[in-house]
Amino acid sequence: MTRSPASGKAWRAAVGLALAAALALTGCSTTSGGGGGSGKSEITVAGTYPIQNLDPASPSGGSNTGTQLVAQELFSRLVRVRPDGTVEGDLATEWKANATASEYTFTLRKDVKFSDGSPLTADDVVASFKRLLDLKSTNAANFTDYTMTAPSPDQVVLKATKPDAAILRKLSIFYVIPAKVTGEDPDFFKSPVGSGPFKLEKFDPSGSVALVPNANYYAGVPKLDRVTFRTMPELAARMTALRTGEADLIWGIPDDQLSQVKSDSNLTVETVQSTAVFTMWFNSSEPALRDAKVRRALWQAVDFPTIIKQLYPETGSLADSPVSPVTLGYVKQQPVSYDPTAAKAALTAAGFDFGKKLRLQFANAEFRPFNQAIVSDLQKIGVQVDLLEKEQAVFTKDLLALNWDVNFQQLSNPTYDAANTLGRLYTCKAKRNGYCNPELDKLLAAAAASPDEKERTRLYGEASKIIWSDAVGMFPMAVKYAYAWNKRLTGFTPDPAGLPDLAKVQVSSS
Amino acid sequence: MTASITASAVRPAVVRRRTAARRWLSRIPYAVLAIYAAVAVAGPLLVDYNPIQTDLANRLLKPGAHLSSGGTAWLGTDGLGRDIFAQLVYGARTSVLIGVSTVVVSAVVGTAIGVTAGYFRGWLDTVLSRGIDILLAFPAILLAIVIAGSFERSVVVVVGALSATAWISFARVTRGTALSVRERAWVDAARVLGVKRRFILIRHVLPFTAGPVVALATLEFALVVLAEAGLSFLGIGLPPSAVSWGQTIANGKQYLATAWWISGLPGLALSLLIVSIGILGDQLTARFGRGQLR
Repeated sequence: MTRSPASGKAWRAAVGLALAAALALTGCSTTSGGGGGSGKSEITVAGTYPIQNLDPASPSGGSNTGTQLVAQELFSRLVRVRPDGTVEGDLATEWKANATASEYTFTLRKDVKFSDGSPLTADDVVASFKRLLDLKSTNAANFTDYTMTAPSPDQVVLKATKPDAAILRKLSIFYVIPAKVTGEDPDFFKSPVGSGPFKLEKFDPSGSVALVPNANYYAGVPKLDRVTFRTMPELAARMTALRTGEADLIWGIPDDQLSQVKSDSNLTVETVQSTAVFTMWFNSSEPALRDAKVRRALWQAVDFPTIIKQLYPETGSLADSPVSPVTLGYVKQQPVSYDPTAAKAALTAAGFDFGKKLRLQFANAEFRPFNQAIVSDLQKIGVQVDLLEKEQAVFTKDLLALNWDVNFQQLSNPTYDAANTLGRLYTCKAKRNGYCNPELDKLLAAAAASPDEKERTRLYGEASKIIWSDAVGMFPMAVKYAYAWNKRLTGFTPDPAGLPDLAKVQVSSS
Repeated sequence: MTASITASAVRPAVVRRRTAARRWLSRIPYAVLAIYAAVAVAGPLLVDYNPIQTDLANRLLKPGAHLSSGGTAWLGTDGLGRDIFAQLVYGARTSVLIGVSTVVVSAVVGTAIGVTAGYFRGWLDTVLSRGIDILLAFPAILLAIVIAGSFERSVVVVVGALSATAWISFARVTRGTALSVRERAWVDAARVLGVKRRFILIRHVLPFTAGPVVALATLEFALVVLAEAGLSFLGIGLPPSAVSWGQTIANGKQYLATAWWISGLPGLALSLLIVSIGILGDQLTARFGRGQLR
């Protein structure tokens, strides 16, 4: 015999592992409380969404929440939207539309400098806009064939191909970078130069971004010495980090944990109606889901009022439109009532194949219970669903490739304008959910072309009605975001788009 | 003098009592394993459970709480109102099933390779042994994660992923046994009599690997059950339609502070099973591991 294989080692190791796992699971793990006592005003933000890329114009994930979150601290925009939904100037001090809302003239702020000290000119703005369009990211679809010119060094003119009243809010996802950057240029985004309140100190795509104040920021240097974004997809990890002081700010806390956070005297908790809506598209290009009757029946088969009441009593409410109440273009729709018997009958009448499994895809474990509850309700009427929880990058790839039957997304809208969601995602040309309706395209085009906000809302209402009654997707829930932050933070405002700005945050001495 | 007499009179009684106690203690793992086996086999026949079915009205109930339907959730319910007791029962079946199939697969493969290498020696042994060494150098759980992660989740994939490394220890042990047995007189006798090598291998060498293989199988079983729970915990093990302790533990993670029973009870069940198997494995090793060959 070479060596006794069954020395107690193997199983002792096994037992050790099991015990270690048990210990870790019962929450006895110790986490060093960083952040706090260093004397400097440094804060750590624990975010849910991965930050894989710092380029907000990138075709691969530039429009992801994580990227946008950091981009708004690194780069400046022409205009941005305040948490209350109104537009304010960032690089632009004033703007003017022509009579048909197809041409906008922006006057740029004077003496704005990039973080490397070079001046920001109209040429940079024009070049950044051209780059955004050239890269064809999902956000660029908002500005197809628009042109931007610089008639003078402190003015830019944006020409739309058709009247577009949503342009201001849509521009809040357009970030200005130096003119010399063209194409994807991953090297530039390893140490990007911007004109936002912060500049990059360190970027690790696997989970952390550190920012330090930009001394050249036009509106005054932020009071914080360092802001660290850490990706913690695990809710338990975020919660623990907040309580131990390792993180100072988290959001997206589910209802089950809210009471626990509220009872902590060191923390402030606030919920805010967000721009996000749980959006569950059906893949209308799949033969099984091509019929609107089938899609409607599936929607009807899920008891969303109960699911929301049980799982999201505080941060959820039954949605009554494909867009959130704080979005321009919100018009209330007729709620879909829960009726499994009618649903089953409708599916049978439509010749739905109960033997075929539907693939329901989602990313982020926090949405698992919600989706499991849906799968359970669908199973009650005999519809089999494969619940596929995917890693974010795989999810995005499959989402764009329409490699799913039902897709769950928490769709937020940083522009507060239905043009960004309805106008961008539901046209035939967008090919995002296999649905194509020329009539809807016409309405969306008309809504985008009208300079009058009331008229636009009416048109988006009409469009919503088609999307709603044809069940392009299920729209179960309008989301409130629950923010919790350490009381030592002052000047923080919860953001309805899930993109809180940290430029005005301070740390009170403690 | 008196003292030493008393002491010597007392000692045997104490010793006797101690041995009796130890004998009883050593039987505990058998009892525990018998209970697990009974639960795994009979439990699913008695308890009804569908992992896809949720019951939101009864979510996060404490152990012993009453269900709105009138029953009692003896071990509580999870975040979607599913019964934890039923999950334990069905999870026991999953664990035992995966453990047994993986151990059987890896024992058969490992023994075949090990005995062949040990008996034939030469270049065959060199190739196989070096192959085993290379695989040994690679962390087993990592290999399992890679294999399980690159295929769609299913029972077969999990068994395959775990067997991919579990057979190695069997191969090493049986190779050693074969190496030493092949030099014994009865093997020489068989060889001289002109018995075919195949039969020598099966009749005269293979039976002697049974002891160590059984001892090793128990230990491997514990490791496999743990590894399966680990894979399911990470979400790359069994599909969500199967019930696994690892999944239940993962589901309870966010409720650790408020509903300990979701992660705690399956974790306890898992630990108890593994500790018991470990003790049993040590006992078997002491008895069969090498004793028989001496």
